[in-house]
Amino acid sequence: MSVRDKAWFPVVYMFAVTAAFSSVLIGFAEGLRPRVESNRRAALERAVLAVLPLEAPAADSAQIRHELFKSLTAVTERGAEKVTAYQVVRDGRVRASALLFEGQGFWNRIRGVIGVGADGRSVLGIAIYEQSETPGLGAEIVTPRFTEQFRKGKVLGVKTALRFVAETAKAGSGEVNGVTGATQTCSRLERMLNARLARWTADTAQPGGTE
Amino acid sequence: MSATPVQKRDLVLDGLWRNNPVFRQVLGICSALAVTNLLLNTLVMCASLTFTTAMSCLTVSLLRRWTPRRIRMMVQTLIIAFYVIIIDILLQAFWPAMSTALGPFVGLIITNCIIMGRCEAFAGSHAPVPSLLDGLFSGLGYSVVLCLIAFCRELLGMGTLLGRPMPFFGSELWNNWVIMVMPPGAFFTLALVVWFFRSRQGAPAQGGGK
Repeated sequence: MSVRDKAWFPVVYMFAVTAAFSSVLIGFAEGLRPRVESNRRAALERAVLAVLPLEAPAADSAQIRHELFKSLTAVTERGAEKVTAYQVVRDGRVRASALLFEGQGFWNRIRGVIGVGADGRSVLGIAIYEQSETPGLGAEIVTPRFTEQFRKGKVLGVKTALRFVAETAKAGSGEVNGVTGATQTCSRLERMLNARLARWTADTAQPGGTE
Repeated sequence: MSATPVQKRDLVLDGLWRNNPVFRQVLGICSALAVTNLLLNTLVMCASLTFTTAMSCLTVSLLRRWTPRRIRMMVQTLIIAFYVIIIDILLQAFWPAMSTALGPFVGLIITNCIIMGRCEAFAGSHAPVPSLLDGLFSGLGYSVVLCLIAFCRELLGMGTLLGRPMPFFGSELWNNWVIMVMPPGAFFTLALVVWFFRSRQGAPAQGGGK
């Protein structure tokens, strides 16, 4: 009777093979972890800087972007554990805020940033840094064709929210043209943005709402 | 676990044409439908799957003399997952935009029937080099069909190829067929591709097979 025929052999063999392959994987993942984390951080920094009215740096390098990002004031809202917004503060006054938002898209989580002016009602821009929506349809929310609309002076009223209208419709102030064929992505993004803006307005209205 | 000798030419022809995983065996259809609306995403997916199939078949073949028969499928899954996770980490580290675009579909390569099918049907009973070739050409056979589907879908659905606007299709003269980018477009294209290749192949030999 060879070792392979023993009752314990399959169990020991499986453990040994699992341990061997897992060890290689752990080593591989650990080796590349700094790079993966740096990519995630860079995506967030790029998105935050894209929605704030900052002077464009002379050269677009990760290091320069990082320095610029560090000059922003991180904000943690009431009840939140992580940083939820970044602000441009000049001469002791808040000039603009980049609000982080996230929510469920059509396929997966959508994470992005929306920039608002000091009044909390003027939208300065939007940037999506993580999404897995349908290419050609929902994924169009990351293209300049869609995001540039938010730079065109979208001002929300005291009680009115951001509204997505049909792609071919004429969009007024506070309205954004959606993407044909991506109704689910657009309506979810619309809800996400309005919930985020409403929370920001409520928090900033209260004394000590942000830290 | 004796293996009958196989000709390299047969391995190439089987993977690419006679026993093509997609239009002959109708395997790997999930990803054929999911990632074929952009040609670039499809190319990356195909490269990932071809690498995983070839390397998994090689590894399964190398371990075949020691792997107990009762647990062989657990070992095969472990090996496939190993290579898929390596690809996933590499994409996250060196091509984060593509990693995000492919989303969960990279991880789902683990469940692709083609890989497990080739490991079980061929690599578990053949020498390493033929197993590597079998996995490689099965992956390439899958890739050819997927790229063809992606070519049609991106061109007709968006008027672009690899993100670049194409003459006529990218102009005002062409009205994009939105349905081609959506799941039904994948079904229609896949059905047409399967019909076309099968009609070219003719009926399979009776009582034949590999």
